[in-house]
Amino acid sequence: MLEVEGLEVRYGAVRAVRGASFAVARGELVALLGANGAGKSSTLMAIAGAVRTAGGSVRLEGADVTGQRPERMARLGVATVPETRDVFPDLTVSENLRLGAFTRRDGAAEIAGDRARFLDRFPILAERADQPAGTLSGGEQQMLVIARAMMARPRVLLLDEPSLGLAPVVVDRVFGMIAGLKAAGLTILLVEQNARKALSVADRAYVMRLGRIEAAGLAAELGTADALKALYLGSDA
Amino acid sequence: MARNLATLVILGALIAALAIGAEATGVRLFERIAITLCISLVLVLGLQVFMGNSGILSFAHIGFMGVGAYTSAVLTIPAQMKGMALPDLYPFLSGVQLSPYLGILAGGLVAAAVAAAVVYPLMRLSDAASVITSFALLVVLHNVMTNWSSVTNGPRTLFGLPKATTLPLAAAVAVAALAVALAFKESRTGLLLRASRDDEIAAAALGAHIPRLRWRAFVVSALLAGIGGGLWGHFITSFSPNAFYLKETFLILAMLVIGGPNTVTGAVAGAFVVTAAYEGLRAVEGAINRAGIFREQVVGLTELTLAVAMILVLVLRPGGLFPTREIGHHLFPARRAR
Amino acid sequence: MRWLQFAIDVLSLGSAYALMALGLVIVYGILRLVNFAYGELIMVAGYTMYLVSGSGLPWLVMAACAVLMSVVAGIATDYVAFRPVRNKTITAVLITSFAFSTLLQNAALLFISPRPRPVPLPEIFSRTVEIGGVVTPARNLITIAVAVVMLGLFSWLMRATVLGIAMRAAASHFTMARMLGVPANLIISSAFAISGLLAGVVSLLWIGRIGTVVPGIGLEPLLIAFIATVIGGMRSLQGAVLGGFLLALIDTSLNYTLPQELLKFRDAFTFSLVILILLWRPEGLIKGPASGRRT
Repeated sequence: MLEVEGLEVRYGAVRAVRGASFAVARGELVALLGANGAGKSSTLMAIAGAVRTAGGSVRLEGADVTGQRPERMARLGVATVPETRDVFPDLTVSENLRLGAFTRRDGAAEIAGDRARFLDRFPILAERADQPAGTLSGGEQQMLVIARAMMARPRVLLLDEPSLGLAPVVVDRVFGMIAGLKAAGLTILLVEQNARKALSVADRAYVMRLGRIEAAGLAAELGTADALKALYLGSDA
Repeated sequence: MARNLATLVILGALIAALAIGAEATGVRLFERIAITLCISLVLVLGLQVFMGNSGILSFAHIGFMGVGAYTSAVLTIPAQMKGMALPDLYPFLSGVQLSPYLGILAGGLVAAAVAAAVVYPLMRLSDAASVITSFALLVVLHNVMTNWSSVTNGPRTLFGLPKATTLPLAAAVAVAALAVALAFKESRTGLLLRASRDDEIAAAALGAHIPRLRWRAFVVSALLAGIGGGLWGHFITSFSPNAFYLKETFLILAMLVIGGPNTVTGAVAGAFVVTAAYEGLRAVEGAINRAGIFREQVVGLTELTLAVAMILVLVLRPGGLFPTREIGHHLFPARRAR
Repeated sequence: MRWLQFAIDVLSLGSAYALMALGLVIVYGILRLVNFAYGELIMVAGYTMYLVSGSGLPWLVMAACAVLMSVVAGIATDYVAFRPVRNKTITAVLITSFAFSTLLQNAALLFISPRPRPVPLPEIFSRTVEIGGVVTPARNLITIAVAVVMLGLFSWLMRATVLGIAMRAAASHFTMARMLGVPANLIISSAFAISGLLAGVVSLLWIGRIGTVVPGIGLEPLLIAFIATVIGGMRSLQGAVLGGFLLALIDTSLNYTLPQELLKFRDAFTFSLVILILLWRPEGLIKGPASGRRT
């Protein structure tokens, strides 16, 4: 579904991503792990088109989509949830969801139906449907932005650090939502610092360090304590 | 420090060369252009003190030039002339007649005082709000100058200023302004201000109170503007409030923007370049009109061309001719640490 | 009876001011860019009316042309003064629009005339109307009515249409809106087009008070829009409207209360009061869309 080859991202003189290559098959949940500054978010943002690539290629179902603008990626069925969450704070929860369906061409009834289904499945959002999204708690906002991304009925979902800044109980709830999306067959690329949580829902994972992919494997293998320690502290620790 | 001295010396020498050269040719036109250029230097350097350090655009600068010019006028017009020039002037002022040099200085001080009294609230505003409020301030200053007839002769021309601005005087003041601008840039206020542009929180941790710093920069800037206004008044000897409004604001901004607002060298370079372009275009416009090429008089061609030039500069080289480093730094770059 | 007169004056002036302010804020709110050429959108409408005045078309058709030209000029401002410098410093953008403003004014000076030119007005503007014992130009009431309609339309656009919601979203998080598929260029062009539309409509009402157009006619409305926006809160649409009415209240009150000799300094007094308001509330009366970024 998604193939990344030799991706390069630079911020001025700094090389944030140095030749990253990986793939995500249809229906897979692949995790991109690593410590702070490893280049995971930059990779995700480059795929999404929000950040310029300095080299390499990104292919979506075989088609080259490297360096496309964010609007175009959205129209191609790539939904992105950035690290900063970016709810639109002055729009209501309902309006946020409605905007999520911006790229859809099917009828208003279908869209409204989806919105009703999300509100149904996540009563906490339904409760606050007409409140400005800026008044929601961190966890509620995270669920809102994921639901908003899903309103587009995307082919691929890019998630950047959904657990950031959230209490463990809330993280569980968010990851429950993510697991549900995976179970429904969605292709997901998940960037996370919380390796344990990420590996609990992922099929496969890659580990990034200083802009490069240093390890790859099945989630089950990487989930062992030794492997995780090596991931974060480096094999020469 | 040495590099700043180098900048001062190089630019000062440039101004001196201009002055000596123009005087040496003996051509009145060149002398006039040189004096105008020196006065523009004083004004642009003044604007640079505020804009270059705080990073905020100010449209009010030329308004303070007007304050300086009118202050000096009121204090220096010979008593006999005052009766005709300013018939309604307040009695306590009609007897006053100072030397033009004191008048120019007073102009600067009054402009600085007005700035000090009025602009503090603007310094607390966000960047964009501050800019547009400064624009409103320009309009208000113009409004006051146009309507306070007893002091300014209203919208009519005020005449009678003694002609005291010679080329040596203008050049000397320009060099002094240069020194002030460089000194301010490297002073504690200047450094803190520039630091606060990049990171407000870190600068605050160093003790920077940003509105107060901006206020200081603005007051110094107004002082220079007022002095520039006084200089100009004693050069041209008669003027009206419309000399301190949008067209002049546009020209001064063009000079600073094209030269580079962040550096003193930029201010100087911009003044030279734009003055040359302006005089050149005016000559062209005059030639077109004399030759009668078009049915009607061509007016506004100069400003139009400059406007296009400004847009081009901003697109192609947004930092101006000297975006970050003074000329002293260009010629004597810092050695890289090993 | 004085009160009724006062109320009508404030409401009609405030209506014009509010529309002016709104036209400015809609670009600022989304793009964080101050459009110095905004006054020239009003000038363009005025000159269009002058240029088509000999055509014999009914006034409404001429007015529609004028408004259309303002919309076109608004979109042109985007392409000339904003897009080329979109990613440069904020100062660069401010100055390009100022330069474009100078360019347009001097173009009018050069290609039309520096002298005032007459603008055709509909016959209804010169009629007067009596309400509750107060005689007032019909134009004032028309201004209020037009403002109510335009503000209503605008409000509906922002709340009920997808475009409006997208524009409001873009005002808080432009990139995120793009990641949802909202085309950046469409949003920006729409903002400028709406700005031009409002400028065009206001132009007809504003010039209707004087009947002539000069190159510098946009300066006063620009200033009004600036002040109203700053006191209302830089990025809030409601703030701009509120600021417009508040400014009209201040101006009209000063008109009524200042002694004759001080009346010509009215703008200086208005400005002083505005400074006081800003001393008390530097961010303006109404906070704009939250975004956490420096405005």
